[in-house]
Amino acid sequence: MKTVSRRQFLTYSAFTFAGSTLPGQALCAFTGKKQQSATVDISGTTFKKDAPDHPGKWSREADYYMTLPGDAVMCCICPQSCVLDQSDRSVCRSRVNINGKLYTLAYGNPCSVNTDPIEKKPLFHFKPATKALSIATTGCNFRCLNCQNWQISQAKPEDVRFYDLFPHQVIETALKKKVTSIAYTYSEPVTYYEYMMDTAKLAKQKGISNLWISNGYINPEPLSALCEVLDAANVNLKSFNNATYQKLNGGQLDPVLNTFKTLHDRGVHFEITTLVVPGYVDDEKMIKKMCHWIVNNLGPDHPLHFLRFFPQYKLDRLAPTPVSVLTNFRKIAMDTGIRYVYVGNVPEHEGNHTYCHQCGKLLIERKGYHIPINNIEKNKCRFCKSTIPGKWI
Amino acid sequence: MKKITNLKIDRRIRNVVIATGIGSVTTQLLTIREFLSQLNGNEFVIALILFNWLFIGGLGTHLAGLLSKNASVKRFYWISICLIILAPLQLIAIRVTRDLIFIHGSSIGFYPTFAYTLFSITPYSLLLGFFLPYSLIVIRNHIADYLGTRIYIFDNIGDISGGVLFSFILVYFTTPFQAVFIAHLPLLFALYRLYASAYNKKTPSFIGTILGITALIIAISIETPTLAPPSGELAYYQETPYGRIRIIKDQEQYTLIRNGRPVFSSQDFSAAEEVVHYPLSQIDSVRHVLMISAQSQMISEVKKYHPATIDYVEIDPAITDAEFRFGLLEKCPEMTVIHEDGRQYLKNTDKQYDAIILNLPEPDTFQINRFFTDRFFTIASQHLTKGGVLSFSVKGFDNYISDNELQKISSIYRTTCHVFKHVLLIPGNRIFFLCSDTPIKTNIDVLLENKNISTAYISGYYYGNITQERISRLNQQLISTGPINSDFSPHLVQILLDEWFSIFSTSPAFFVLILSIINIVYFLCISKEEFVLYTTGFFTMGAEILVIFAFQIFFGYIYLQIGLIITVFLAGLLPGAVYGQYLCEHGNKKILFFTDTALIILMLVFIGAISLFENQISGYAFLLFGFAVSSVCGCQFPVALHLQGGGRQAAVKMFSADLIGAAYGTLITSILLIPFAGILWSAAGLILLKITSLLIINMKK
Repeated sequence: MKTVSRRQFLTYSAFTFAGSTLPGQALCAFTGKKQQSATVDISGTTFKKDAPDHPGKWSREADYYMTLPGDAVMCCICPQSCVLDQSDRSVCRSRVNINGKLYTLAYGNPCSVNTDPIEKKPLFHFKPATKALSIATTGCNFRCLNCQNWQISQAKPEDVRFYDLFPHQVIETALKKKVTSIAYTYSEPVTYYEYMMDTAKLAKQKGISNLWISNGYINPEPLSALCEVLDAANVNLKSFNNATYQKLNGGQLDPVLNTFKTLHDRGVHFEITTLVVPGYVDDEKMIKKMCHWIVNNLGPDHPLHFLRFFPQYKLDRLAPTPVSVLTNFRKIAMDTGIRYVYVGNVPEHEGNHTYCHQCGKLLIERKGYHIPINNIEKNKCRFCKSTIPGKWI
Repeated sequence: MKKITNLKIDRRIRNVVIATGIGSVTTQLLTIREFLSQLNGNEFVIALILFNWLFIGGLGTHLAGLLSKNASVKRFYWISICLIILAPLQLIAIRVTRDLIFIHGSSIGFYPTFAYTLFSITPYSLLLGFFLPYSLIVIRNHIADYLGTRIYIFDNIGDISGGVLFSFILVYFTTPFQAVFIAHLPLLFALYRLYASAYNKKTPSFIGTILGITALIIAISIETPTLAPPSGELAYYQETPYGRIRIIKDQEQYTLIRNGRPVFSSQDFSAAEEVVHYPLSQIDSVRHVLMISAQSQMISEVKKYHPATIDYVEIDPAITDAEFRFGLLEKCPEMTVIHEDGRQYLKNTDKQYDAIILNLPEPDTFQINRFFTDRFFTIASQHLTKGGVLSFSVKGFDNYISDNELQKISSIYRTTCHVFKHVLLIPGNRIFFLCSDTPIKTNIDVLLENKNISTAYISGYYYGNITQERISRLNQQLISTGPINSDFSPHLVQILLDEWFSIFSTSPAFFVLILSIINIVYFLCISKEEFVLYTTGFFTMGAEILVIFAFQIFFGYIYLQIGLIITVFLAGLLPGAVYGQYLCEHGNKKILFFTDTALIILMLVFIGAISLFENQISGYAFLLFGFAVSSVCGCQFPVALHLQGGGRQAAVKMFSADLIGAAYGTLITSILLIPFAGILWSAAGLILLKITSLLIINMKK
C-alpha cells in the first residue's frame, strides 16, 4: 500500500533539486518541447488510523474483501485494492477496517438527494423525458482535478450533512416523487456499493429502474453482481491514454475498459461520456483510437457523449473546450462507425439531437431537457422503421 | 594593484548600493506580479511571497555577518554581477518551471505554493540580503568608522527610486524583462565605474558588464515565447498596472486570461445568459443598466431588453481594448465604457439604474471584498430605481454545499438582507444573488417566455438544473448567524481562505507552528534593540497594509495613488534615518522610547480618524500618516544601531531584525489580523505590539 503517491514524490523531488536544475528546465521550455511526464500519478492514498472505533448506524460489513494476516483486510471492490491495517481507511474514504472486518461507512446516509431529468445524467437513449431520483453518499476512488462534486467525492461520510435514508426509505421517496428511476450518481457509487445494491434490489422489485453513473473503476466480480440489477449506466471514459488517467484522475485505463466490456457482455444499456479537456483529451489521434476500440469491442450502438470542459475545482487554469473541437470529434466518432454521438454542455448544438443511423432523419429534438419532437415509436424510427438502440418507453 | 582613495571607494560603493536598490525593488515588484500570474492571487499567497522575500533577505543579511571575513571590492563586484544575472533568471524560472513542476492547467495548494515561491526566490533574495551588510563591511575595510546608517540611507534612496521608476513609468510602458533590463542599467554602469577605476583593470570589468547585459538581453528576447500557451496561440498580450492580460486563440475560440486564470471565452453563451437574464427578467421595463466588469456576450443579451443606456465600468482599459478587438463584447450605441473603479463610480454618480450587474471574481482579496460589504450594497441600493435589481454571483456547487461555501453565502446573504427587503439565491455552478426591494420571482424561464425573449441555455436547462426543490433547499440551509461582511471587518476574505485550504485538504497549522517556533527562538536570541526594530518592521508593514486597505475602501482601487502610498512609506524612512543619526550624535538616549510612543500615538490617530470621520478623510491624510510612520521607523534604525555599538555585527543584526519583523508583519497582518479582527482591531493589535516593545525598552538588562 502506498503512503506517498508518486506525484507527491516527484513534486518534493522537484523542489529539492529545483535550484540546480532551473536553468536546464528553462532551456527545455524555450525549445518548445513540453515535458510530458508520463509517470505523474495523483492516485489517492489510504488514511492511517482514521477509522471510528465502532461501526455506527450507517455502517455495514462490506461485501467484497479479503482478510489478511494480522487483522489486515484488502478491499476488493475496485482496482485500488486498498490494504487496510486495523483502523485504516480506504482511498475512497468510505471503507474502514474495524477489528479485522471491512465496513462501509456509506450506508443509508446520502448527502445529496435530488430529482433530475434523466437527460442530465446524461442518458439520451433511456426513457427520455422522465425523472430520476438521484442519490449520493460521499467518496470516490479517483482524485479528478476537475471534479464537479469535489465537496462530496473528496469527503468522509461523517464529515458532511446527510439524510437518514436507508434503502427502503429511498424506494418510498422514489414512489412519492413518482420517478421512474433511481440514479446512483454525483460522487462515485462504487464506493457506496452495498447501499446501492440493497437499494437497487428493492427498486427492481417495485419496477423502478436503476441507473449507474460512474467512472467505471470497479472489479469484475462486484460489477457482475451489479449488472443483475442495473437497467442503464453512463460510464465515463475520461481518456484513452493511461498517463492522462494517472495525471488528471488518479486511476488506470484498463480496468475501465474492462468495465465497458462486462456491461456490453451482460447486455446492460450503457452510454459513454468523455469530457474533452483541452491539452489532455483533445488529441484527434487518441480520439480516433478510442472510437475504433469502442466499435471493435462494444459495437456501434452505445451512445457516446463528448462533453465540453469548463474550468473547475483544481483544474481551473484551462480555457473551455472550443466548440469546433467537439464538433470535429463527433464527426470522427461517427465516421468510425459509432451511430449515436452527442455533444454536451453546448446548448443548441446539432449534437444535442438524435438522428436515425439508417435514414438520418431527426428522431429526437432536444432543447435542453425539453423534448419537443420524438419520432421514435416502439423502439423504431418512425420513418424507416429501423430499431434504435436503447429503452424508449 | 593601485590603491584607491577612501573617498572614492565610499562614493562608488554608495552608487552601487543605490543602483542595487533600484534594480532590486523593480525585481521584487516584477517577481510578485509574475507569481500572481502563476498562482492563486489571494491575500495569503501575496503575503506568503512577501514573507519569503523578506525572511530570506533577513537570513542573507545574517549570513553576511558570518561569511564576510575576506570581504573585498572584487568580491563585492562579482556578487553584484550575480544579482544582475539572477534577476531575469528568477523571473524566467518562475514563468517556465511552473508547468514542469506542477500539472499544467491546475491550481496548486498552500504548501506547494510556499515551496515554489521559497525555492524560486531564494538565490536572489538571499544574495540581496547578503549584499547590503557586505557593502558596509567592504567600505569599513577602507574607512573603519564608516556609519552603518549611511548604507541604510543609500539603500532607501535606491529603493525609493526603484519604486518610483517601476510604479510610475516602467509598469506602463515595458514588459517585465524590458523593465528588468532598464532597472539594472544604473547598476551595470556603477559597477563598471567601481571596478575599472578602482583597479585600473578593464578586462574583468568588461567581462562582468558583458555577462550582465547578455543575461538581460537574452531575457528580453524570450519574453513572448515564454508566454505562449501549450495549446492555442497567443493572440494578445499586455502588461498593465492591474496585472497581465492575454488572449489565447484556440481554434475559433478566444479566451481572456487575466493573471494566468481564464476569465471568459468567446463561446461562454450560457454564462452570459445567466448573468444577464436572472436580474433583467425580474424588471418590467429595463431602461438603464450598469455592468461592473463584464462577461463575454453580455451586451447582445442585454440588448434583448432594448435599454436606453448600458454603462459598462471596467477599471483596466486593456481589458476593454481586448474584449472589443477580439469580439468578446460587441459595441453598441447605447453603451458607454467607463474606465474607473466600479465602487468609486457608483459612489460618485447621480444616475439611477434598473439593474446593477456585478461580474467580479471571488471576494478573496481585500480589493474585491469591497464589492461584497454592507456599505457597498447600501451605495448600490441608493442607485437602483424602484423595483431595480442588484445581481452578482459567487462560486457555487453542483449537488452539495460544503460548510465553507455555506458560511460564505450565508455571510453575503445576511449582509445583503441588511440593505434589501428581498434577496433570492439561485443555485448552480455559480450562486446568483438577486437583491431588490420588490419580490423576486424564481420562474425565470417563464418570465422570459412571457417577455418573448429567446435564450438557448435558460429556456432549455433552467427547469432541470434550477428546480424549485434546489432553490428552496439552498435558501433554507442558510445560516442565520453568519457574520456580516463589512469594509472594516472583511470576514469573507477569511472564509474564502478557509475554502482555499479545504479545496486542497490542507491546513496552515503546521506552517504557523513552525513560524511560531522560529519566532520564539529568534526572540530568545536577540537584544532589546533588535526587538524594538523587529516590532517596528512589523508595525510599519502592518500599517502600510492597513493604509492601502483603508484607502481602497474610501477612494477605490486607484493604481497611481496606491503606488504613491507605497512610495511614501519608503520615502519617510530617509529623513527619519537622517534625523535619527543626528539625534545619536547628540546623545539622546531615550529616542527609542519616544519613537515607539510616537508610533502608538500615530496608530491611535489612525483609529480615531477612520472611526469618526470615515468618508471625510482626505486622501492626503493617508499619505501624511504613511510618511509619519515610516519617518519614525527610519529614525529608530540608526539609534538602535548606535546603542548596539555600531559595529559590523550590530549592523548585520539590525538589518536582519528589521527585515524579519517586516516579514512577520506582512504575513500576520494580511492573513490573520485583518480577516479575523478587522481593520480597527488590527490597528489595536499593532499598538499592543508596540506597547510590548516599550515595556522591553524600559526593562533593565
